[in-house]
Amino acid sequence: MIDAKWSGELGVLSLLAEALAVAAKDLRTEFRTRVALNALGLFALTTLAAVSYTIGPYRINEADRPFLLSALLWIVILFAALAGLDRIFVKEEESHTAPLLRLSARPHAVWLGKLLFNLGLLAALMVILVPLFIVLMGLPLALGVGWLVAVLAAGGFALAVTTTIVAAIIARAMTRGALFAVLSLPLLLPLLIFAIQGTAGVASGEIEIVRQSLRAMISLGGVMLLLSAALFPVIWGE
Amino acid sequence: MTQGIRVVFQNLGKRYDQRVIFRGVDGSAEPGSVLVVTGPNGSGKSTLVSILCGLLRPSRGTVQYIGGDGEVIRPEWRLHIGIVAPAMSVYEELTARENLLFFARVRGLAFDRADVDRLIDQVGLDPERTTPVVGFSTGMRQRLKIAQAILHEPNVLFLDEPGSNLDPAGQDWLEDWVAAFAGGGKTVVLATNDRREMEWGVGRVELAG
Repeated sequence: MIDAKWSGELGVLSLLAEALAVAAKDLRTEFRTRVALNALGLFALTTLAAVSYTIGPYRINEADRPFLLSALLWIVILFAALAGLDRIFVKEEESHTAPLLRLSARPHAVWLGKLLFNLGLLAALMVILVPLFIVLMGLPLALGVGWLVAVLAAGGFALAVTTTIVAAIIARAMTRGALFAVLSLPLLLPLLIFAIQGTAGVASGEIEIVRQSLRAMISLGGVMLLLSAALFPVIWGE
Repeated sequence: MTQGIRVVFQNLGKRYDQRVIFRGVDGSAEPGSVLVVTGPNGSGKSTLVSILCGLLRPSRGTVQYIGGDGEVIRPEWRLHIGIVAPAMSVYEELTARENLLFFARVRGLAFDRADVDRLIDQVGLDPERTTPVVGFSTGMRQRLKIAQAILHEPNVLFLDEPGSNLDPAGQDWLEDWVAAFAGGGKTVVLATNDRREMEWGVGRVELAG
């Protein structure tokens, strides 16, 4: 038998290394199966194509454009994200890899790793989807790209944190689809409203609305992050 | 790390809704020996193993891990446990090497490729094989699961029907390996209905079914 070599790292650094191992494993398996990537990409592009074909940039009044286009953008992001992100824990349960992961990794390393993977997928989705949306739908950017990136980053962070913990809960449940809808609605609705308001603020040039929305999304994301960190070991166990 | 761990369980019972799987099960797995758990199909052998390694909570009764430094608390059991069970899989999309490197990293072990390759070779697999596990035979998967179970040198090893997918040569290798593992002062809990595997143990827990 070979000698087990303990890395000797303790605390946060070691937890981060273990979380990165979980995220890298998920990324590698995802690139080989492309289940979540296909679901996200197909949903995003199909919805974007349908919206741009039927509505386009010119069927909306100039004054309504910032609000309606912002709502449409976040609806596409939300549903594309939900099409892939809720699978991250279900896949572990369905392929019977969850028990060995439970016995091998610290719960917080698993949670953080899955969250990092979720953030990566969501960032990739936004990088492809948002420029296409701006070009095809003519979303105005009165405050510039920088503020839009800030709103997308804050909204994406809160969305990833929320969907990660909801995905962990539903993976242990029998009625997954219904439970995901029931749990997601109260958690995601306020986030969606702030994200739409913030994006509309960027589009119409109202800096104060953008600042308020950013504060609200960062607060929501922070609260969900703390709640998730506290609850995940209980959810991940039996 | 605490050397030599006793796994002591008393009055264990498990029920799902109204269905009683087993009740009143007592036993003790001692360092340096193999405890055999046996019983007919559906008697709860795998459930008992899951409870003993902390994956399931019993409906009643207690499980204790007792090492040289005293009782090991439940969140730390995972540091001492290795397990091979039919209902637990490694990652089918990854190669053997990628699987073992992953499990080493999440356990905080500073393994490199050479360490992992040595372990793969030790369980009778080819370290240079680059096929994902999905292309492995059931016997090869079993060998990989055994490698995964022992890579961190656990003090307690749970084996649930370990020889079921191995060829005769693999079963001989497993028997020698389990004897050497237990002979090194480690604790082995073996759930099986195989008459040959039953003879590996000194202690026995028989579930009624």
